[in-house]
Amino acid sequence: MEVSWLYLIFLLPLLGAAVNGLLGRWLPKATLYAIALLVVLLSFCIGLFAWLQIARLEGEAAQLHQTVFTWFSVGSLKVDLGLAFDRLSGTLVLVVTGVGFLIHLYSVGYMEEDPAQWRYFAYLNLFVSMMLILVLADNLVAMFVGWEGVGLCSYLLIGFWYDDETKAYAGRKAFVVNRIGDFGFLIGIFVVYLYTGQVSFHALRLAPLSLGVASAAAALLFVGATGKSAQLPLYVWLPDAMAGPTPVSALIHAATMVTAGVYMVARLSFLYVQAPGVMAVVAIIGILTALIAALIGTSQMDIKKVLAYSTVSQLGYMFIGVGVGAFAAGTAHLITHAFFKACLFLCSGAVMHGLHGEQNMAKMGGLRRAGLKQTATTFFVATVAITGVFPISGFFSKDEILARALNTRAFDFLTAWNPEWTNVPVLRPLLVGLSQTRLTFLGSTVYVVGTLTALITSFYMWRCYRLTFEGEYRGPHEVHPHESPWVMTVPLWILAGLSILAALIVLPWHGLSFTWEHFTEGVFARPRGGAPAERLPQWLAFGIALAVAWTGYLVARWLYAPGLQGDEKLSSALPRLRRTLANALYVDAFYDWAVSKPLFATARGLWRVVDATLIDGLLINGSAQAVAAAGSALRRFQNGDVQRYAAVTAVGVLILVYVFLVRG
Amino acid sequence: MVGPLHYLFLAAALFALGALGVVVRRNALIVLMSIELMLNAVNLTFLTFSRFPLVRVAPTQTGFLSGHTAVFFVIAVAAAEAAVGLAIVIAVFRSRTTVNVDEFDSLKF
Repeated sequence: MEVSWLYLIFLLPLLGAAVNGLLGRWLPKATLYAIALLVVLLSFCIGLFAWLQIARLEGEAAQLHQTVFTWFSVGSLKVDLGLAFDRLSGTLVLVVTGVGFLIHLYSVGYMEEDPAQWRYFAYLNLFVSMMLILVLADNLVAMFVGWEGVGLCSYLLIGFWYDDETKAYAGRKAFVVNRIGDFGFLIGIFVVYLYTGQVSFHALRLAPLSLGVASAAAALLFVGATGKSAQLPLYVWLPDAMAGPTPVSALIHAATMVTAGVYMVARLSFLYVQAPGVMAVVAIIGILTALIAALIGTSQMDIKKVLAYSTVSQLGYMFIGVGVGAFAAGTAHLITHAFFKACLFLCSGAVMHGLHGEQNMAKMGGLRRAGLKQTATTFFVATVAITGVFPISGFFSKDEILARALNTRAFDFLTAWNPEWTNVPVLRPLLVGLSQTRLTFLGSTVYVVGTLTALITSFYMWRCYRLTFEGEYRGPHEVHPHESPWVMTVPLWILAGLSILAALIVLPWHGLSFTWEHFTEGVFARPRGGAPAERLPQWLAFGIALAVAWTGYLVARWLYAPGLQGDEKLSSALPRLRRTLANALYVDAFYDWAVSKPLFATARGLWRVVDATLIDGLLINGSAQAVAAAGSALRRFQNGDVQRYAAVTAVGVLILVYVFLVRG
Repeated sequence: MVGPLHYLFLAAALFALGALGVVVRRNALIVLMSIELMLNAVNLTFLTFSRFPLVRVAPTQTGFLSGHTAVFFVIAVAAAEAAVGLAIVIAVFRSRTTVNVDEFDSLKF
């Protein structure tokens, strides 16, 4: 259905950003807050209105569409700023604006003391606007605008306190790493356009693609997703992004922006199902990221770092979901994760607020009894949701992903190698062997590793909870922990409530009409390989999941009952492993050694040799010096003696006379 | 019979003497005088061609007396030039106590 008001959804926050960004410095605080909050609330209301409309429609018709204007048209390429509000993008609009509004509200309390609030709220509004463009876009190019826009806002907000060198560096790092991914995304768009001549999702859905083109495009676009959604090997920016204000971490680096990659894969599900090999890669990257980030999360001391690695790990789960073809399960986890992870991050912000900026869990402890009762309770609810010790939202959405991974048939017809790819004599027998291996085991492997990761997740999240809120207070005595004002606790309660309520949409009984899977029927393409098999009875899968979650919980409870001694015990038992994990597997150091250092050395070499010596020395200063030398040689002729000039002139005239009169 | 060539050779000789004087003499007054000599050599050339024109011009036509006219202009300009030149030489002599042109070389790099 074509409507004319969809653009208001992203335009309102953009207007708010413009007003606050241009005039905010001179506006009174109350007006600033009012503008920033109202625009987001209004676009939430419009989104809700639109959502209620499409919820009543069925099938293909359940979509609102608006072509705002033709952005550009070159040859056969015509790009509209088109918005499509269907059941997937519409629900995400509600999540972005809803969670976004709560975080704006929270920021009013959190950023109370900051002198540059106007800048903060302008960036935040701009981010919401860009995220809405990303979600609503009906073609790849418009999506790329949002994609880059959220990257820009992420950079601006990570480096919000730019006078701190490490924070400014974290912002730059996030931007550069994202740019690497975005490069792949851009090339992916080029490939899609080159072979289909289309960029809009609707046209691409119908366009026939060969396996090679679909695989290349899907793989390149997935490179973009690994950057934006912090997957291997480009996840390194997300833990550093915690340098930004905590509400920003909650909104951008947990709930919304980092899920853009998952959303993109789900949106392009019709493309990915045509490239089953790339889907296998997506699932493998997802499971590796989930496992590695969870492992690193067990050894971090900074509460925000724990949550950051937890985010990376949960994003890995989402990619497993979309990778095995369970697009509904992956996006459902995206939504439930948005609620409980935003809640966790905001709680960590409340803790930092109560402890005057302390982030080190070694200096926390006992905060539940020390006054942060509301924060502790909401953190507890969100931790239950993410670990799944009691079946609320996170339990069902994560286990749906794992069950789908186990039961998937998307890889059954895949082989690890194609014998036609090589004729190298020595390798050939080996590779022919590989080509006869079917990847049927991939789904089961993902399930086993994913379950192991769930165990680790449960362990590190309960470790985090116990170190922060239970035991004895370990901080300095002059810091008195205190609860946050109501503007900060109300969002916590709402998000905790949503973490519980969101369980409704991910209930695993397929007969229910309000579940996410039922609701998004027809939005996603079906993977090849046929309907999922039933490889494990549902009750057994839930039993395993519950057992795993409780094991993690009990181990954390037993180890960290006395407080920090649990860490010491672990360190003395596995010193090298702990040290490696605490240093995040030295991945940053490795990238520094393998990428940054050579790049800087090359740049320095180019600067010294090409720029300083060749261009500046030889071409610029050299030519100037040549002119100067010629000038000082020639100035000998101007000696001020008029008679000499006259004599030279006379000789010159004589020569001219000889040339033109006598010889001519 | 004295023809135009005689006058022209005389004028050329005078001009060459004048030019030589301008180039080699060191006294500024003599240089000025040499310039006068060159001017008058030019005058002589003008008059020669006025007296022995290459193309006959009737007395009523434009250009009949143009050679004479030019000479009067040159004499007027030469008089003005002599006045200004002498004034400059005197001014320079007052500040430098010399009229030796070799020492007037401040107009350089």
